[in-house]
Amino acid sequence: MIDEQMAVFIGSGLRLAVPIIFAATGEMLSERAGVLNLSLDGMMLMSAFTAALASWATGSPLIGVAAGVLVATAVAALQAVLSVTLRANQLVVGIGFNILALGSTTFLYREIFGPLSRDPIPGFAQLNLPWLAHIPVIGPALANQTGLAYVSILMVVVTWLILKYTSFGLAVRAVGEDPRAADKAGISVAKTRYLGVLYAGILAGLGGAFMSVADSNTFTENMTKGAGYLAITAVIFGGWNPWYTLAACLLFGFATALQFLVPALQLDVPVALLLLLPYLLALVAIAGFVGKSRQPSALTIPFERGG
Amino acid sequence: MVMKNPKLARVAQGARLELVPLQVLVPVVSTIIALGIGLLIIAATGASVIEAIEAFWDGMAGSDFNIGASINRAISLALVGLGFIFASRANLTNVGGEGQIAMGGMFATAAALHGAGGLPLGLAFIVPLAVGTLAGAIWGGLAGVLKAARGTNEVISTLLLSFIALPLVYWSVESFHLLRKPISDVSSLPESAEIPDSTKLPLLFPDNGSPLHIGLLIAAIAVVVVWLVLRHSSLGLRLRAVGLNAMASRRAGMRTSFYVILAMTVSGGLGGLGGAIMILGQQFYLTSDFSSGYGFDGLVVGLLSRGSAVGVVIGALLFGFLRSGSINMEISAHVPSAVVLICQGLIVIVIAGSAILTNRKVTR
Repeated sequence: MIDEQMAVFIGSGLRLAVPIIFAATGEMLSERAGVLNLSLDGMMLMSAFTAALASWATGSPLIGVAAGVLVATAVAALQAVLSVTLRANQLVVGIGFNILALGSTTFLYREIFGPLSRDPIPGFAQLNLPWLAHIPVIGPALANQTGLAYVSILMVVVTWLILKYTSFGLAVRAVGEDPRAADKAGISVAKTRYLGVLYAGILAGLGGAFMSVADSNTFTENMTKGAGYLAITAVIFGGWNPWYTLAACLLFGFATALQFLVPALQLDVPVALLLLLPYLLALVAIAGFVGKSRQPSALTIPFERGG
Repeated sequence: MVMKNPKLARVAQGARLELVPLQVLVPVVSTIIALGIGLLIIAATGASVIEAIEAFWDGMAGSDFNIGASINRAISLALVGLGFIFASRANLTNVGGEGQIAMGGMFATAAALHGAGGLPLGLAFIVPLAVGTLAGAIWGGLAGVLKAARGTNEVISTLLLSFIALPLVYWSVESFHLLRKPISDVSSLPESAEIPDSTKLPLLFPDNGSPLHIGLLIAAIAVVVVWLVLRHSSLGLRLRAVGLNAMASRRAGMRTSFYVILAMTVSGGLGGLGGAIMILGQQFYLTSDFSSGYGFDGLVVGLLSRGSAVGVVIGALLFGFLRSGSINMEISAHVPSAVVLICQGLIVIVIAGSAILTNRKVTR
């Protein structure tokens, strides 16, 4: 009985972590280049809606994911124009995009899906890998995931490799720490930051699409429920390191999944308090009470040549 | 640099004069563009634009009741907006209005239900207002303390504090030992009992059916006080100095941490007052999502105003009436009120994007 509930808990914790892993991993790279995308939640929400719409219209969840990623990347491109070229306040622009995303997805959802029945939209099937299922306790939870969930872990590895072993990764780190020196060394600050933000957009798009076409097979209004903000806090919690960020995402996923486990175990802990747990953990983390981490020096500071 | 050439000096002065209208022009133009796009969207849905506008107008100002309700909305938005510009005077961005409203409303409800009801001389509603203000002040001040003591970015901390406050409100209306009303045969919704009549804010025009309450006077006083403090006091100057250059201010002998905490506390307190007024003035009982959207609306109002208290009043009235109108538009013309969210998002993005026009120097 307990085993069964643990398996469900681990499974739902992982599923809740996947969108945050995608978004946080992309955001981490963008922040290493000096751009904070508070619009992450908006990108995810737009992608979740677009993926649901495209998957429903074409019957192919793969096309859904592609469409979602495309839209999230478009939002990221706009965010990049505003925060890199126009040197606007990155945080304010991000909040603007989040309001816009909430408004437009809610509006379009009611206009397009409103009168239709709540049929599930076409989504991905779970892979059910037999060689994973044999691991005790966590095996079934690990094996019964959609392909996209494994892609999220793959993206962590890819992002780590990019940052550590490629010249682009070196440029990202240089631009985020000392844009003026990077500029003098011949690295284009603007280009590097654009690519960083677009990378964050692509991954946030995958995370958002996962929510609608891989996890729940439906779209609901404001379905990200602040997952983008959680992803940003995971980056801070993880000290701008890909592996620690991954660990923070898993922690947040399991903290969120506790709200299903605790009532099932008939423990008398209010669900509402479990809902605020990830945010409380994040607050404690950014207040610097957990470990010592240093943010990229040029984070959120626009770069202007000369002067 | 001293301008020796009088012609050049005049040109320079002209450029300076031009900057002032631009501060006004940008918010006005972006609002008009956003509303225009909103109308286009309504037209694109196939709904009758005329009908939508009529429903919109009716909801905003169709009757004494609707006008009063719109202004009541504007009161809370204005208080959150004032809080925003107060913090931004010290170059702090308080985006946690939602959480500060939530804490203010929750503690005001608790005070009104437990103890304040029997107090004489108007204290029955003054005490809950004060308790709500205090709750918001603590919630905002917490971000100030984290900023001053640990260097924590206040944007992230105020956001997180909002995400912590909202479940707390949910918890309080879910739990019988907190604020949830006892289950009766009529309803068992997770909400608080209605506050006693004596704790409700007195109406300004009790005879004509308008819900407009004395929160209007409180907000008016707050506008004047914030304007005086920010523009005409040494405190306003010090906040500005700390915001512009903390290091120089510290060398000049100012306790910068004190001003950072003060700015965030006052900012949060104004949000808490706004939340308390929402409960005591119009809603009368606490629900888990009573603050929904007001925090971000107040934030947008603060942004639009570009630091001016008068601008906050105009912005708050605009958004108060917009919200009332959009609700009625959804009910009678079947146009989703989310259109107004789209407009708001566009306004924020356009204004933030045009900062390069209005600020010659990029603020860091």
